[in-house]
This record gives sequence, structure tokens and C-alpha cells, in this order.
Amino acid sequence: MRPHSARVEVAAVNPRRGGAVLVTVLLACVLVLSAQAPARGGRGTVLQAWFLSLSAPVMRAVGGVSSAVSGRIAATAALFDAREENVRLRRELDARERELFRLRAEALENAEDRRLLGAGSGLPSVVGSVPILLVERRAGAQSVLVGAGSAEGVAPGSPLAVPAGLVGRVVTVGRGVSRAQLLLDASAAAGARIARTGELGVVRGDGHGTLVLNNIATTSTVAKGDLIESAGIDGIYPRGVPIGRVSSVARGSKLFLEIRVTPSADFSRLTDVLLLAPSPAIREGVEAGRSAPR
Amino acid sequence: MRAGRVALLLAAAAVLEFFVGRSPYRRFLPVDWFLLATAVVARSGDFVRAVLAGAAAGTLEDALSMPLIGMNAFAKAILGYGLTLVAVRVVFGGSLAVGLALFVASIANEAIVALLSALLAQSPLVIVTKDALWRAAVTGLAGGALESAWEFPWREWWTRRRLRRLR
Repeated sequence: MRPHSARVEVAAVNPRRGGAVLVTVLLACVLVLSAQAPARGGRGTVLQAWFLSLSAPVMRAVGGVSSAVSGRIAATAALFDAREENVRLRRELDARERELFRLRAEALENAEDRRLLGAGSGLPSVVGSVPILLVERRAGAQSVLVGAGSAEGVAPGSPLAVPAGLVGRVVTVGRGVSRAQLLLDASAAAGARIARTGELGVVRGDGHGTLVLNNIATTSTVAKGDLIESAGIDGIYPRGVPIGRVSSVARGSKLFLEIRVTPSADFSRLTDVLLLAPSPAIREGVEAGRSAPR
Repeated sequence: MRAGRVALLLAAAAVLEFFVGRSPYRRFLPVDWFLLATAVVARSGDFVRAVLAGAAAGTLEDALSMPLIGMNAFAKAILGYGLTLVAVRVVFGGSLAVGLALFVASIANEAIVALLSALLAQSPLVIVTKDALWRAAVTGLAGGALESAWEFPWREWWTRRRLRRLR
């Protein structure tokens, strides 16, 4: 066996090309065979099994990347949705907080009303409780705005009180609010009575937070600590409502004692007050004013 | 060797395999004619043509006798390369050497096919069988005979014969 021609000699001295062709042919044969031979288990061919085996990691990687990308997209979309939802939830939360605040305020107000009404059951002819909206203290004038008016049945001259004692009276009535003069006002006055001795006098505000009981004769046995209550003789306040207690008694140069009274009601903590029915004299005056020809 | 001659050689091998070879249609003589054709191409020393001729011969053989196409093509492509390597590297001659080489090549062909069958068709791995030995022996004998016929000085023999008749 020898090469026969020069052309063959050239090919024989370089078998690499033949090796490459051999490898190519062998690979083709393997592919053809694997495409025909059944795989183990009888499902598909060996080539399919090889392809699946080789592509499984790639498919897993592609699936992982795909799921990661889709997850990222979903997360981004969810982020936008979450922002909108966050805004919506914030609005709802604000509304709920406002509602809760209002309900709490109403509950507190109702509780305070119940407490006031319960504690003020000893007071005569209580109409209801009204909230204090504004307290005005300037130059001896002490008044408050209350959150009730003619719509709630408030009439001018209606007395205001707390369970501890008398507070003042309504002087101006609007539809929803009213202005009331406190007993501490420098121009306020009420008929008063010393509960222990029964002596009658007039309590006035001094415009600075205390009261002065006038018209008590120097012969009186009034003493420090005596209870002062409304006498019901002024046509405004009902009888028997506590006003305060005597804090000091001094003999002045005149015929009457100088008696200072500490108010029973704590005027620095007024939030709600009890509205009392106006006296019959005031009621008749109001009705007469309404029915008078214009 | 030209491509036309290679094709003619493969066609002749296919015809012989079909009629007097180991094909399932005729079981006359189990000579591996395709291996002989591959060896003839390999003898020319061209690696590429030997590999391609082996692959083509194996494919034809598979088409004629095997359930899976490609096993003999695989084996004969390797044998084409190996026989070409032998042809260009080793200097030997004579019908005995050629017959032995073809015997070994036929055994190698059977071994490669058996290995591929075991791997791909889950058939039992039996490399050397009586049939394989018989086929290898017949193929080696045929190859040796062809080598003897190829190397025989036919012209001189014919001249001597004519001279004998003239005397």
C-alpha cells in the first residue's frame, strides 16, 4: 500500500485536513444516530434527551432571568400602584382621623354634658348644657360666648351655672351663639343671701376675679367661710344657687360691712355651663316684646 | 483517486453487498464489500476522500442492513482514516499483509458498531462473535485475493502463454 501519484503525496503529508473531516463526519454520524435512537424510558430520541439535558440549565437560567425581570416589572408596577394607594390611604386616614377627632370631641362633649347634667340636677330648672366658645376678659369686662342661641331656646336673661355655683347670665342672643355676662364682670350684680343668717345683699363683680357682697349691715354676724347663695329677688337668678364663700369681712367707715366673696364656680376652667330657665319675669317680658305691635 | 471512480467503486460494492454480501436479502457470502471499497480508496493516500468514502460506504451499508443509519458510517469513516494512515506510514505489501489488515479492520468495524449499538440501542455489548470472525476472515481472504490479482503480472503471463502456443 503506497501512494501512487504526486497529488496523493501532497495530501498524505498533511493529514490534519483529513482529521478535521473525520471529526466532522463522526459528529454528523453521532447526530444522525442520536436523532434515530430512542432515549432511555422510551420517550423521544437520544438527541432530544441530549438537547433537553444541555438546554435545561440554559432554560433554567432564562426562566430565572425572565422571572426576575417580570418580578422587577411587577414590583415597579406595584410601586406605582403603591404610591397611588398610599396617597388614597393617606386621604382616607386623614378623613378617618378627622372623623375620629370629631367623634372623640362629641363623646367628650356628651360625657361632659352628662356629667354636668348629672351634677347639676340639684340646680333649679336646668334646660341643658351649652359649650363655652370664647372667654373675653378686658378692662373689668368679663363675658363669654356660648355655643347656643335662639334656635336652642336660649333667651336673654337666662342664667348660666355650673354644679359648683352661679356663673352669669345671657345678655345677647343670636341664632347659634349668645353672649353672656359673667358674675365677675364689674357691672354684674345679683341678689344674694347669706345662707347661715339669711341676710340679703347684692353681690357684684369687681372685674378682677373676686366678688363683693354689699348691703350687709355692720350688725351682721357674717363670718369668713359662710356660704353665699342667690336670693331670687333680682328677677334674673333663681333662688338657692351657690355663689361663693366669704373670704374676708372688714368693717368699713360706712354703715355696711366690706365682704369679699370667693366664687364657688371655677371661672378659669369654664368649658361647658348649664343653661337655666329664665325667671318668669324675664319670660313674660320677652313674650310681651314679641307680641307687641310693631 | 477521482470522485467518479470512488462513486463507481461504491456502487459496485453496493451491488455486490446486495447480491453476494451480508445483506438481509441474500446471505450468500458475508464479505464486507464496503470495507474493501473503503480500503481501495484509502490505498490512494487521500485522507479526506478515504474518510468521506468510508462514511458514504457505511451509510449505504446501514441503509441495506442496519436499523439505525450511521453506525457503519461512523465505523468506516474511522477505518478509512486509519487505513489511509497505514497506507502512507507503513511500507508493506503482499496479499497476506493486506488480508491481515482487512481482517483486523473488519473486527474493528464490528467492535465499533457493537459499541454504538450498546450505547444507543441498549443492546448487549458483544464484540467478537463467530459471525464477526467469519465475516472478517472472508473479508480478509477477499482482500488478499484482490491484492494478489492486482499485483499479478498479467501482461507477462499472457506473453509467455502466447510464446508457449507459438512453439
